Amino acid sequence: MPSSVFPPRSAQAQAPDVAAPARLAAAIESVAAADPDRVAIVTAAGLGPDRRRAVSYGTLASDVAVMERRLAEAHPIGVIARSGEIAALVAIVAACGRQRVPLALVAEDSRDLVGELRDWSVCGDDLAVPSPPAQGRSRREYDSSSPQVVVATSGTSGPPKLVEHSWDSLLAAARLAEQWHGRGWILVYDGTRWAGTQVWLQAILTGGRLIVPASRDPDCVARAAADEDVSILPATPTLLRRVIASADSDAVGRMRLDRITLGGEAADGQLLEQARALFPTARVTHVYATTELGEVFRVSDGLPGFPAEWLGRALPGGAKLSTRRDGELLVQLSRDTAEVATGDLVERRGERYEFSGRRSDTIFVGGAKVFPRRVEDVLRAVPGVVDARAYGLPSAITGEIVAAQIVAVDPLPEGVTPENLRAAALAACRSALEAHSVPRVLDFTRKLFTNPSGKVPRRPVGR
Amino acid sequence: MTSIDGATRDIAAEVREAILAVYRDTARPPRDTPGSALLGGDLGLDSLDLAQIIVLLERSLGVDPFRDARGSAPHPPIRTVDHIVALYAATLAARS
Repeated sequence: MPSSVFPPRSAQAQAPDVAAPARLAAAIESVAAADPDRVAIVTAAGLGPDRRRAVSYGTLASDVAVMERRLAEAHPIGVIARSGEIAALVAIVAACGRQRVPLALVAEDSRDLVGELRDWSVCGDDLAVPSPPAQGRSRREYDSSSPQVVVATSGTSGPPKLVEHSWDSLLAAARLAEQWHGRGWILVYDGTRWAGTQVWLQAILTGGRLIVPASRDPDCVARAAADEDVSILPATPTLLRRVIASADSDAVGRMRLDRITLGGEAADGQLLEQARALFPTARVTHVYATTELGEVFRVSDGLPGFPAEWLGRALPGGAKLSTRRDGELLVQLSRDTAEVATGDLVERRGERYEFSGRRSDTIFVGGAKVFPRRVEDVLRAVPGVVDARAYGLPSAITGEIVAAQIVAVDPLPEGVTPENLRAAALAACRSALEAHSVPRVLDFTRKLFTNPSGKVPRRPVGR
Repeated sequence: MTSIDGATRDIAAEVREAILAVYRDTARPPRDTPGSALLGGDLGLDSLDLAQIIVLLERSLGVDPFRDARGSAPHPPIRTVDHIVALYAATLAARS
């Protein structure tokens, strides 16, 4: 969709003269005023025209107004927005922002954390605002300086926890050049998680269409992207790998992506090459962000990791990178803030630093370290292997041993049997890895388990 | 009902199958595995190989004597094929 159809008033809504907390509501209102029927959100996409449900900017603006009125009446201490219908979530967030009501975005699997916010009102799809509990406090005036936004972490590095942000940090990444306005964005993340908020905020703040596929099944994602004219695909490398390897090839062929934004996991060189070959016009960007830090940097040169010269220098956003002796990446967001240990390990390879995995994912075999990502990269490069996951299995003899699961192409090429594919995978590992890094347990699986953030966990599942 | 001897024979077969799987997975030629064969000296198996055998036997026999016996008396040294068979037979017998 050409950017010229984007109403200029919406661009003004993004301008710094609208305070960050009010910016989302203002952006929705300005698009609705100029073009009320413009589609803002499509849900249940990818199952055909009869199943999709579209919500216009006009409807979204009305919902925001309803929600703002109810907030003004109920005066909640804060609002916990529950995931459900994404349109309701957008309306709740926009209204809380402009009304300066503290807001918490809590995914379904982080419900245990809500106890920390016990006086807050839980709002869902019906946009009702329950009054604060009788024994609780009520609030007449909200902090006019900086209302908080609380987001639950995805739990990649430990149990999920609540992290407080300002509206400025929530919207920091949502300033896009005009060429990206009015586009179709696909949302494959939970809308209440950091990664998900970044996708729908960028889509709605730029007058775009947010396309929510009916499921994360690769076929459904590819059909939703093709049918709904999606041009921007933010996804984890795991999901993109699945779409490339196993989604309906007709749908993949009809996808017209201009931008692929990878995040949540490190992207390997093989995947970046495949993405470039299949979507030659798309700009492939890898974003390094965490729920705690927000976006730290992005790399768009098509190579894995980041340039080695970035270490020790202030990056465009002001962040500074360094490493510990063991290779853990440290981030200092600004001069006034402390260094944060990210838990991500990096290794220098030539002129790049490449991600070798999470510190917590490291497998220790007889005292020697194994990075599961290296094992997975080797396995994925074996012809006939679509995806792989390596993890440590506890062992009384060696502490841990390396185990791996592989997903084979379906159907297997003629003449290839599961037995000889498995032998080829082990042979590839023996020639590329040290002896203790070669998987001692190698199983086939039809699909790798992914957690609610769309990432593949590397600790044993179900043990 | 399987006799103790019958059960031991089954365990011995599973142990030999696990050792052969280790040879196969590590691309080494298979060797004969008599009960008296020394795991290191005769069969050329190292600690990683033994760790793999234990995982394979947990899958086929449903027990890991090392994990299941945690906190109880230490098991005798495992030096031969027969030692492995005896350890699994004792663990399975203690379970039933």
